[in-house]
Amino acid sequence: MESATIPISNLQLAFTVVLVLITGAISSLLKLGLLRSLLWGTVRTFVQLTLVGYALTYIFKINNLWLIMAIITLMCFIASKTAVKRTPNVPNYPSLLAFVSLLASTYLVGSLVTVLIISPDPWYSARIAIPIFGMILGNSMNGIALSLDRLYSEARSRSAEIEAMLTFGATPWEAIRSSVREAVRAGMTPTINSLMVVGLVSLPGMMTGQILGGADPSEAVRYQIVVMLMIATAVAIGCLILVGLSYKKLFNEDGALQPFVLQSKK
Amino acid sequence: MLFTFQNITYTLGTGPGRQITASGAVAEGSVLVVRGPSGAGKSTLLRVLARLQSCSGGEVFLQGESWRHLPATAWRARLHYLAQKPALFDGTVADNLAKPFETRQGSKNKFDPDRAKALMQELLLDANLWEQDSRTLSGGEAARIAFVRGLLIQPHVMLLDEPTAALDDQAREAFYGVLSRWLTGPGRAALLVSHNNDYKVLDRVSFLDIGPGQRGE
Repeated sequence: MESATIPISNLQLAFTVVLVLITGAISSLLKLGLLRSLLWGTVRTFVQLTLVGYALTYIFKINNLWLIMAIITLMCFIASKTAVKRTPNVPNYPSLLAFVSLLASTYLVGSLVTVLIISPDPWYSARIAIPIFGMILGNSMNGIALSLDRLYSEARSRSAEIEAMLTFGATPWEAIRSSVREAVRAGMTPTINSLMVVGLVSLPGMMTGQILGGADPSEAVRYQIVVMLMIATAVAIGCLILVGLSYKKLFNEDGALQPFVLQSKK
Repeated sequence: MLFTFQNITYTLGTGPGRQITASGAVAEGSVLVVRGPSGAGKSTLLRVLARLQSCSGGEVFLQGESWRHLPATAWRARLHYLAQKPALFDGTVADNLAKPFETRQGSKNKFDPDRAKALMQELLLDANLWEQDSRTLSGGEAARIAFVRGLLIQPHVMLLDEPTAALDDQAREAFYGVLSRWLTGPGRAALLVSHNNDYKVLDRVSFLDIGPGQRGE
């Protein structure tokens, strides 16, 4: 069995422009108005990934624990900003809470997987840690954005029920518990769905990458199983932390629903 | 006086809004009817007293105890606010009636199905409704079920926002009959917002007028 990566030369890479031309032709032919975005996106893909390639080469070479932690923390910060922007139902949400949720879930699950399951030498190997933490973050970011958005939309649509619970003497947590449940479910559903169809509908990116990189498919599958389960856990923890930190923002200091929750229903 | 509120100041609408100040008191076994034109802030007053909405000033006392001395959860369990369109939860009527007892505050009392069924009967509700899906109830049935649910919590004060709006004459009569009997219990009173004059069947009624040009007193 072949085990080496087939390298892509600069000339071969340049041929991918043909693919862009095809996409551009479709856009022009149908007047989709996407040509400008497509070209800008292509340039950004080349530039960003090339820079990331150089940066990773450098980081892997240095393999310094503090640098790795700084990079992962920065990734969490960017992911939290992005997640908050993807929540149309949530006005003026402080991205700090999203950052804390992502930081906690990513470090917890990422460290467990890196140190206990993959166990590289040294245990903080940048070559292992950065891709692992990156995959966790990419999925957790989407999960927490979905959860947060659902929490707010549920609170608005169920404000009468939440308020009814409050009139029984319920605490804010007791009153909003069912909305919290829905919010966490919404965040986790895409991940659970992907667990159901993985390998049947498509081969996951990491596994495909490993196979293309010359790895034994059965080995790639083992890695993919670890990755899938780690993502599911991280998403669940991230959603739970974020929703747990966020629900109180829907209530005032007296435990009553904030006006913005009630007004939006009218 | 069982329940007193002094200089409760709140704002209607968003932004600068219109400021209302209201004071009132209700004796044990009595009903204070809050009157005023539509949009005068009657419902908002009830919501403020139930601590479902904040106010900018004022003081409220229940049996001599200030609302500042009680957590909102305990306060709301003593003053039950019944909304004009009360919310019912997914599930049967029985599930809805048992709902308040799922909370930590509510679990101090035990859900009494027999008492609930007796109240339903007094309010002319069919016993077969017990297992019926709450989403299939008519407006009048839903209003009476929510009233039963409120009574089961055993509050001291009922804050009733147009409770008879969806009821026919017979059901209204039954409603006020149950309310009157409930008021005979110790440490009980009610505040009522109603556009009808049907509350005239009640004994021991006093009035509070609020609205433009009025300083509720």
